[in-house]
Amino acid sequence: MTDDQKKELKILCYAHWNICKILDTETGIRDIDVLKDVISMPGGGSLNCLLGEKLTNKKDLYSQLGWFIYYTIEGEPFNSKNKALIVLVLEWVLNHYNLSHDLEDIAEYVDNIDTMRQGNADISNWFSEKVN
Amino acid sequence: MKRKIIRVGSSRGVLIPREVTRAMGWEFGSMTDLTVNEEKNELVIETAETEIPEELDKEQLKQFENLANKHKKVLEGLHD
Repeated sequence: MTDDQKKELKILCYAHWNICKILDTETGIRDIDVLKDVISMPGGGSLNCLLGEKLTNKKDLYSQLGWFIYYTIEGEPFNSKNKALIVLVLEWVLNHYNLSHDLEDIAEYVDNIDTMRQGNADISNWFSEKVN
Repeated sequence: MKRKIIRVGSSRGVLIPREVTRAMGWEFGSMTDLTVNEEKNELVIETAETEIPEELDKEQLKQFENLANKHKKVLEGLHD
């Protein structure tokens, strides 16, 4: 793993731990390999939209988010509240990029994603259409 | 509360009752800090303070905490 990936992993773990503390649910990583997949983008990239730097184009951002969301739902890296983690991360990222969005709308979408029928590209496309 | 020292492999251990772990908020993997006071012949077990790794941005982590509190209802409503 690269240093950036390790940082991203720690940020996700911290965010998840916070959710569990607030919602009084089970903390902990269910599968570390799945968690590594979640932050490892194809072609050796990573979920660097989490690191505070800004990507230069939205397509890359939505592509990263699509990957992150798909593999988090599909693999459930944490013991609980994986979808809550996704929504919290989206809220932080979209605020960081000053992209207007409706969090409840996003939460409803995330809650209903069916990974048997929707791939990471479909999820990226949804964000391209709904978030500006 | 009296507890017997038991064998755990080649080490010695004390089982901590569930009501104690619950009261302390300890789960499997929680870190504790042990302090031995030889003068008083006592052992103190405390929750270990967690340090945030230096390479992480504390402000960013605070933002995550604030957002999680702010949107608690939305997060709560999501399926596991």
